Amino acid sequence: MAEQLPPQDDPVTSKSLALPYLIATVLLLGTLLWAIYDENWGTRPWKGFQTEFKDRYETFLKSVKSRSASAEKDLMASSDYQALQADYDRISADVKPKVDEINKEVNKVNQDIGIVQTAFVDARAHVSADTYDLETTVSDKGRENKKKELDAYKAKKQFTIELPDKGKLGPLDYNELEQLYLGLKDQKARLVAQIADITKPQKDAQVKMSQYLADNMVDLSPGALDNLRKANRDWDPKIVQINVNAANLVDRCESCHMGARQPIEITPAAMMAKGKKPDAYALAFVSHPERQLLALHDPEKFGCAPCHGGNGRATSSVEKAHGNYEHWLYPLWKKENVDAGCQTCHAADRVLAAPGGPELGKTIDLGKDMFRNRGCNGCHRYEGYDKEPEDVVFFRQQMKQLESQQKDNLHQAAILTKKGDTAGDNTEANAYYQQAENLRVENSVLAGKIEQFDLQMRSALHDMKKIGPNLKDIRAKLNKNWIPVWLKKPTDFRPGTKMPNFRLDDQDIKAISAYLWQSALTDSVPKAKSGDAGHGKELLETRGCLACHSIGEGSGEQGGTFAANLSRLGEKANLDYIARWVHNPRLRLRPYCPYEKKDLGPEDYAKKGLPYVFDEDHSICPNDGHQLQYQQMTVMPILRLSESDAADVATFLMSQKKKDPADYPDAPYMDDARLKDLGRAKIRQYGCAGCHEINGFEDEGRIGTELTQEGSKPIERLDFALLTEEAKRGGPNPVLNQKVSQNIGPWYGGKYPSNAKEVGPWYDTKGFFERKLLVPNLFDYDIEGRVKVKKAEEYLRMPDPHLTDEQRNAIVTMLLGSQDPTVPADYRYQPRGTDKDIQEGWWIVKKYNCMGCHQFVPGQPTVLMGMTRYQDPDWKEQLPPKLLTEGARVDPVWLMKFLRNPALSDTDTNRNGVRPYLKVHMPTFFLSDNELRKLVRFFQALSQQPMPYIPQKDERLTAKEMEMGRSLFSSAAAPCLKCHATGDPNHDRTATAPNFLMAKERLKPGWMERWITDPQAISPGTSMPSGLFHKQGEQMVFSGPIPPAFEGYTGDHTKLLVRYMMQLTPDEQRRVAAMMGRAPAPSGAKPNPSEKKTTGKASPGALRAPKPAIPPAASGASR
Amino acid sequence: MALSALLSLLLLIALIGCGKKEESTEQSTSETPKAATPMDKSQVASVSGMAMFTGAAPKPTKIDMSQDPACKKSGAENMTETVVVDDKGDLANVFVYVKDGLGDRAFEVPKDKVTLDQQGCRYHPHVLGMMAGQTVEIKNDDDTTHNIHPSPKDNKEWNESQPPKGSPLEKNFARQEVLIPVKCNQHPWMKMYIGVVKHPYFAVTGKDGKFTIKDLPPGDYTLAAVHEKFGEQTMKLHVEAKKDVSDQNFTFKAQ
Repeated sequence: MAEQLPPQDDPVTSKSLALPYLIATVLLLGTLLWAIYDENWGTRPWKGFQTEFKDRYETFLKSVKSRSASAEKDLMASSDYQALQADYDRISADVKPKVDEINKEVNKVNQDIGIVQTAFVDARAHVSADTYDLETTVSDKGRENKKKELDAYKAKKQFTIELPDKGKLGPLDYNELEQLYLGLKDQKARLVAQIADITKPQKDAQVKMSQYLADNMVDLSPGALDNLRKANRDWDPKIVQINVNAANLVDRCESCHMGARQPIEITPAAMMAKGKKPDAYALAFVSHPERQLLALHDPEKFGCAPCHGGNGRATSSVEKAHGNYEHWLYPLWKKENVDAGCQTCHAADRVLAAPGGPELGKTIDLGKDMFRNRGCNGCHRYEGYDKEPEDVVFFRQQMKQLESQQKDNLHQAAILTKKGDTAGDNTEANAYYQQAENLRVENSVLAGKIEQFDLQMRSALHDMKKIGPNLKDIRAKLNKNWIPVWLKKPTDFRPGTKMPNFRLDDQDIKAISAYLWQSALTDSVPKAKSGDAGHGKELLETRGCLACHSIGEGSGEQGGTFAANLSRLGEKANLDYIARWVHNPRLRLRPYCPYEKKDLGPEDYAKKGLPYVFDEDHSICPNDGHQLQYQQMTVMPILRLSESDAADVATFLMSQKKKDPADYPDAPYMDDARLKDLGRAKIRQYGCAGCHEINGFEDEGRIGTELTQEGSKPIERLDFALLTEEAKRGGPNPVLNQKVSQNIGPWYGGKYPSNAKEVGPWYDTKGFFERKLLVPNLFDYDIEGRVKVKKAEEYLRMPDPHLTDEQRNAIVTMLLGSQDPTVPADYRYQPRGTDKDIQEGWWIVKKYNCMGCHQFVPGQPTVLMGMTRYQDPDWKEQLPPKLLTEGARVDPVWLMKFLRNPALSDTDTNRNGVRPYLKVHMPTFFLSDNELRKLVRFFQALSQQPMPYIPQKDERLTAKEMEMGRSLFSSAAAPCLKCHATGDPNHDRTATAPNFLMAKERLKPGWMERWITDPQAISPGTSMPSGLFHKQGEQMVFSGPIPPAFEGYTGDHTKLLVRYMMQLTPDEQRRVAAMMGRAPAPSGAKPNPSEKKTTGKASPGALRAPKPAIPPAASGASR
Repeated sequence: MALSALLSLLLLIALIGCGKKEESTEQSTSETPKAATPMDKSQVASVSGMAMFTGAAPKPTKIDMSQDPACKKSGAENMTETVVVDDKGDLANVFVYVKDGLGDRAFEVPKDKVTLDQQGCRYHPHVLGMMAGQTVEIKNDDDTTHNIHPSPKDNKEWNESQPPKGSPLEKNFARQEVLIPVKCNQHPWMKMYIGVVKHPYFAVTGKDGKFTIKDLPPGDYTLAAVHEKFGEQTMKLHVEAKKDVSDQNFTFKAQ
């Protein structure tokens, strides 16, 4: 029998399962809550946003009123507004005495400046005159004397200044006087800045007041407002998304940013309780700030993320949606880089922002300017920049392909003909013959294509430019001893130069200078006579040079930043070369044959019995028939200055120096042949040939990485090197910063630490680009600021481009937007027709800096416009013409002729073809056929003019109409010839407008009618007055006394006058001028603001260059 | 769908409607200027003084008007008016005005027009003062065409032709701007200056260098004198009720 076990307790009754149940229940309940939480907040944070938005929008909609006068009054009476008003009044009262006080001081200082200036300007003139004497004296003894004289003048305590509040000062010597003057100027600047500081709260208060009104009134009718309110109340939380299948685009951004496209303007303040600072919600709910842009880029097609970056699909957190997490390539652009979004689709556009329009696009435009003007493309390929060399290759390939196709066709045709010969019947034979003939005709079509490619290839060769000067010329151009000093650190000599600072050690500098010196051409340039520096200065300041170049340093700097600053030129260059350069910058010392890789000399030409002539018409190598590089690869145009004028300008420029060129330490090592090999290696290593022509480096490729799609590089491919961990971690690293700063101090001015107080991680494209541009060799360092030990050639080569924060940010923005498109190709802006013409034209306009002188779009500033000189009303009329409606104004055929030769004369070249009265001269840009064609099309397209232009038939004037036209043209109430030139030198001395004889060929009649009716509407500020005609019924009628010949005439007066002008003959014009009895201008008359002589005499051969080299431009300009 | 279409249609209509309305209100506001601040006429005083010149004054040069026979008719000696100073150093054509101290006071724009006359190819007067918004009537008494071309910095620029003895032009300047240069492009020597201020306290010195500003309420002011060539000078001024202030003299020096 089995032993009986004591009965066990029934677990159901004896054991409690309460605990497991409890745990299970808690878990279940927890999961449920979690699910609920997740559903509503956790993974759907947008629901919270939407509820928040609904509440705030509701409040806002309740508070706003439809815009009306009574609403404004009510608002102004409200206590909120009154409080703001009170604030403003209080602040104003507070500020006023302080401002008055400072203003008083400013007045005093102004007075002092006035007094000191008089003495100082005289003294400075004396010193410059002496300095000039000193430089032009040849003998050593004479120099010494002059120097003594100058020093004595400077040291003599001879200036006594009496200032009203400071009493008598002095006698002072020259330096003390200068100090005094500069001190006063500084003081004034400080005071003015103080005023701005002090009045800031006042201005802020004022802004608050107008903002309050704007925030509380909307441009909606009461009914529409009610509808909005209802729609908002009825809103149920749901995902709001834009879904474009074709583009694989799903953007859910508006699930949180609900205000972006609301019909009324929503500001952060409007989304916040009164008086509170806008929080993150309020900032997220605002309207899209650029409505115009949205109208052009319909969000229903473009979505949000293609422009803004970020992950449009993500809805689970703000970080995810904004793309701020690992593995998402394009985080939302920061505010300062928002233009990067434009670049993704508009990389092919050179100009994006509407000048004078909203800020958007300006950063990217600056980035593009900097990329080109600082020569970034010398080392880094970027599609669209400097594409001529690639075009040349492309055209060559095309030609080869077509040529081989031609051969095939001939071969095929021969076979077909043979087949025809042996065919069974006539029908078959004829079919073969026909096919053969078709092929032969096709060949002649191909021949035309080949010819076009050949022409375009020649244009492309012509259009190739280098950003830096030709270093083959340095023996003829430079002060030898200056070269190593410059290479050491270019910004020390010339702050703001395009040349970046390379981190060269002394050995590098010696070697590079030696190579450059020894490899340079030894040809000499003809001696130039030292000229009139005063006249040279005037020419430099008025001829238009300063639209590109600047002169003066620091606060005294004036002019453009497109080309070099010319201060201190006297220390580095020599007169002969500069005079020749100013006369014709396109002149080469020797032509270069790319095929032979050789600079050709007279001997090469002599061998073939040819004269040593190279220009556009003599562009073929005598040895092998290949195209030569026959001109300097500079964008600098020819100013058509006579040789003597050019010498005057050069003389003035050579007087610009701070230090005697002879004071540069001797550099004998530059002749040391042993250094040459090292020099060659270093030049190759640093990629100098990217920007300069250098002997032996003509075919050198770019040494940097291509940047066209740099912004979409995976982060792993950006070389953070030993700083990777540091970048991921972020946070300030004092050790690194200090060490880096110590090591790089000499090169970067110790700027790293102040700019590098990073708080968050910077392991992203923006973080990399910014640091790379700030301290290009940062990634040579390890985390403790030690320089990695490696071979000298392995250190990072990128030089310091010494950019301002704004410039750096602009380039960073451009790089961020440089992407492999995530949207389909057709989302990129690829215009056709006239839009394409505009796109292509901007590249040329920017290439030659046309905007330095001309206005192309309303509101666009030019460099000259901003200069002090042109603020004076008389000088303002001397500004180059505005080109706002150029395409509608001129006949494109004429325009091409003019652009080719702006003097419009083969003999008298030292003049403006259209506006001989302007001191600024339109230079000869020596454009290739390609560029000419693009520019002409650009102007036509910009004014919506179709190409080709077909002039309308101009009916001959009847005798009666002729008489009427003449009487109007010469009417005392519209004395056209009083201002317009006639070609008679006596008369033209006081002319301030173009010659009518040009009208027929140059102008479009419709534009002329609009112009004479209201010129101020076409070119605001022009000398031509409005009000000559007024509307009467359907016709424009003359406003002055109507000449008797018009008796019974009911037609349009402007139309008649325009027809008369279009049919004007030289004889007729002479007769009318004589009839008007205008006395010849007396010699004392001053048509121009300046009394000095305009220019030297221009001889017919002014452009002919000194022998042996014949300038390419000579023939270019005189074709 | 239908609802949203209806809604957007409504919005559109509303927008158009509002746009129009705004336009009209804008116009009406520009037409009704701020009401003049009331002033106690019994408390006012006048301010007078002189503009003097010390040092060697630039000599006026003769203007050659031979390019336009119609200009020479007057027969008078035509001298430049850039610096008009007599033997005693009295400087004419200086624009004197209250630059500061009037606060936010608004003033009624006078209905009377000021006149700028072109006679003998010269402007009369050479320096003209007027209030912002006031009308200037520009006459041409010559047998030649002129064009009037002011180049202001803060006002709208214009350039209008006026036929010989043509009907007068009426113009105004909306904003305060002291010394707007005016010229005639057809007669390059013709230049004058207009001082536009937003109150009536201004004057131009006469041949004797004297000026008087009348009816100034008591207060502390900054008085400014502006000359086309010698620039601006300022002085502090305290005016008590009913007490005329005299001898407020400005001295200009050669630059």
